Amino acid sequence: MTRGAAKKVTIYLNEDTPFHGGTLYEAILEFLLHKGVAGATATRCMAGFGGHHRMHTPKIELLAEHLPVRVEFVETAEKVEEILPTLYDMVNDGLIEVQDTTVIKVADRDRQAAQPKRPHERRQGPATLMRIFLGEADKWHGEPLYDAIVKKLRLMDIAGATVSRGILGYGAKGHTHKQSFLHLSRDMPVMIAVVDTPEKIQAATGAVEEMLEDGLIVLSGVEAIRLVHSLRAAEAADG
Amino acid sequence: MAKLVRLHFSESDRHRGRPLYEAIVEKCREMRIAGATVFRGLEGYGETAGLHRARWFTREQPIVVVIVDAAENIDRLLPAVEEMMDTGLIALSEVSVVRVQKSARQ
Repeated sequence: MTRGAAKKVTIYLNEDTPFHGGTLYEAILEFLLHKGVAGATATRCMAGFGGHHRMHTPKIELLAEHLPVRVEFVETAEKVEEILPTLYDMVNDGLIEVQDTTVIKVADRDRQAAQPKRPHERRQGPATLMRIFLGEADKWHGEPLYDAIVKKLRLMDIAGATVSRGILGYGAKGHTHKQSFLHLSRDMPVMIAVVDTPEKIQAATGAVEEMLEDGLIVLSGVEAIRLVHSLRAAEAADG
Repeated sequence: MAKLVRLHFSESDRHRGRPLYEAIVEKCREMRIAGATVFRGLEGYGETAGLHRARWFTREQPIVVVIVDAAENIDRLLPAVEEMMDTGLIALSEVSVVRVQKSARQ
């Protein structure tokens, strides 16, 4: 699983729909696990009705059986294509739904946990350096603007960003930023430096421009050497 | 023509038990590079997924080392620095140096 376009499959079933001596939802989960699907979740629902138009609800004892179960999973389009025929065959009483979705983040704590030190991989090429100049006291929806910008850049999958605080300066606001004993809050100049491919920086520039009220964005061409671990490099190659 | 190098890595990066930025500055002196300046960032992120920022007891802020020298000196330095860095970014740009104090270098 990587970031980007994917398919989300939802299967609506009864919790006691039989399947070869067991229940269907368990059989489906086992099948998905066997097929190496990234993850699947079965949820027992509160109440509902389906194709038989009979209400299933835990409130009335007579109807408390056959509660609805929903099995969901997200996978790449190819993988869904591969397993859908079997699912179609398995679900003899229920409903299968496929929708387009976008994967924003796939985080795996175990994989990120301290890996043995591996040699880094070197990638060199032309890149763009973007420098954003703003004030430390600038806010964006109540949080520091520099914080919001870094989070936004991370969401956009920009390679990296560094925020540095200057010790003196002036800029678009026309006042000198300096530290004084009289002021408890600080409004020092802040610079965010970002290096990535020209295309990605162009996208980032647009996003940052929207957030920046008054400030300065400076772009320059640089030669970049990225030292990355091969795990990340392999992921990038996959995506 | 002079070159400006920017090395980005984390404050927690170490080289033979000591902070990497210290080791790199020392290496620059050893190789008689004109100068190096270390900046500590407020926060940031990079090759390692976590957001680097100062917490209560641990400091893991981003570090930027800026080095300016003649192109041939920079080319001499880079392989050594790459060897010392684990993950990170090296950004190179060509700059024109307006003034250097000749007396500072023998």
